[in-house]
Amino acid sequence: MVAIAVLNLYSTLETWWLIPFCVILLTGILCPAMGTVLITHKRLLQVNLISHCVLPGLALAVALGVSPSIGGVFSGLFGSLAAEALTNKKNENYEAIMNTILAGSLGLGVLLIPLLGIRIDLESVLFGDLLTANLGDLTRTIISFLVFISLILFGYEKLVHIGLDPEGASDSGIKVSYLNLLLGLTTALVIVSSMSAIGVILVIALLSTPALLGLQQAPSLWVAMVRSAMFGSLISVLGFLLALTFNMSPGPLVAVLCILLIGLLPRKRNN
Amino acid sequence: MEMLLFMASLIAENLTYSYSRQSQLVLDEVSVELKPGTLTALVGPNGAGKSTLLGLLQGRSKPDKGEITIDSHPLLDSRSQISLMPQRGKLNWNFPITVEGLVALGRVNHSRSTCCEVEAALQRVGISDLGKRRLDSLSGGQQQRALLAKTLMTPAKILLLDEPCSALDPPAREDFLLIIRQLAEAGLSLFVSSHDWGTSLNAYDKVVALDKHVLASGTPEVVKEKLDSFSCMHGSYCRA
Repeated sequence: MVAIAVLNLYSTLETWWLIPFCVILLTGILCPAMGTVLITHKRLLQVNLISHCVLPGLALAVALGVSPSIGGVFSGLFGSLAAEALTNKKNENYEAIMNTILAGSLGLGVLLIPLLGIRIDLESVLFGDLLTANLGDLTRTIISFLVFISLILFGYEKLVHIGLDPEGASDSGIKVSYLNLLLGLTTALVIVSSMSAIGVILVIALLSTPALLGLQQAPSLWVAMVRSAMFGSLISVLGFLLALTFNMSPGPLVAVLCILLIGLLPRKRNN
Repeated sequence: MEMLLFMASLIAENLTYSYSRQSQLVLDEVSVELKPGTLTALVGPNGAGKSTLLGLLQGRSKPDKGEITIDSHPLLDSRSQISLMPQRGKLNWNFPITVEGLVALGRVNHSRSTCCEVEAALQRVGISDLGKRRLDSLSGGQQQRALLAKTLMTPAKILLLDEPCSALDPPAREDFLLIIRQLAEAGLSLFVSSHDWGTSLNAYDKVVALDKHVLASGTPEVVKEKLDSFSCMHGSYCRA
């Protein structure tokens, strides 16, 4: 009887917002926490490369009839490997090459859509379409969340050592390249999972700005991650509510709010 | 007698190293001996091969020729006896971590370090009151001490210090030299690379002057005398 009553109540309430809300809340927690790790490892440019590499994989996956997320994660991982190889070679033109691959990957993705004769809503992939988020999007976000939590639970101290002193970490027996690959894979997962909430291009704002605030005076990486996640969830929910109120697109609004958040960063005094 | 059990000496003979077969030699027939309880300076101009030599002694890279032994055992079997304190530039000093957190990372294979071990290491370098401070809030000298405390968390008896005083002002440098002198007196063997071949060399028991090969080796007075005849140590490339 109770179950039927709950079901009746559920069906009478307006619940369409529930899944988008959960997706943006989880994304708002996950992206800044991930971003904190990436900023402390000086890997933010690589994240940009990964996010731009997602589109060609998405297009190919749709053409092959596979889940777009799987394609996105694989091409994101390819971007991560390319970034890793470029970083390791310490090429003096590293940043220029990275930016060229970044733009080229996005261009390839855009070209593949008409070439393969597929239909992809490019705008929602790049900039998010939160209000149409479904159970699949929520599941993807939860999976990414669990993968990230596992990485932190099992590799926290190693990640700290690598972020602080990569050579020392390698000397003490940590498999640095293996952990960097895992970090790249998790990043690709997080980016793909935040596609519906904020889009693969705008996600960089949610990965960086709350993390910058969370890192201020944090005594440890995990404290910084928790603080960043708090800032991130706050700004994401605020963006969601403002988007509903003013009938705007939530993804771009969250990215704009991130710019405003930069104003909260303390200014360093020049001596 | 008890202290001797915790000592180790290192002998490196005729070490030769180049980055590839086609490239020039970085080290040419370099021999070094580090005795227990001694403070040895490794001086030389930029590109002299100081960091490369420390890398070989640590076992990070293998020499093309030559042999390194610790108490007559090959280096490979005794790597735990050696610990390297890296150059400042190798570390991300803005990483969110406290001094205690940094020192605890020095424990071998990331086994759990007790607070007493961390506290003891901090006390040895004279910064036990800074344990809770964030790393980037310390002065350069304090940061170097924290890094030395991390190095002391290993059971190593031979410490290789790569330019630990390079960014320190004279008072901080003197303090640091005093600390490493105390470590040497406690039985550790320290090999400290440096650009500084001025008066601070007097703080060492022995000095090795390097510029791809050993230019001079011995007490600070002997080495300084020999170095006076080499213009290379004053800035120009040495062809001696």
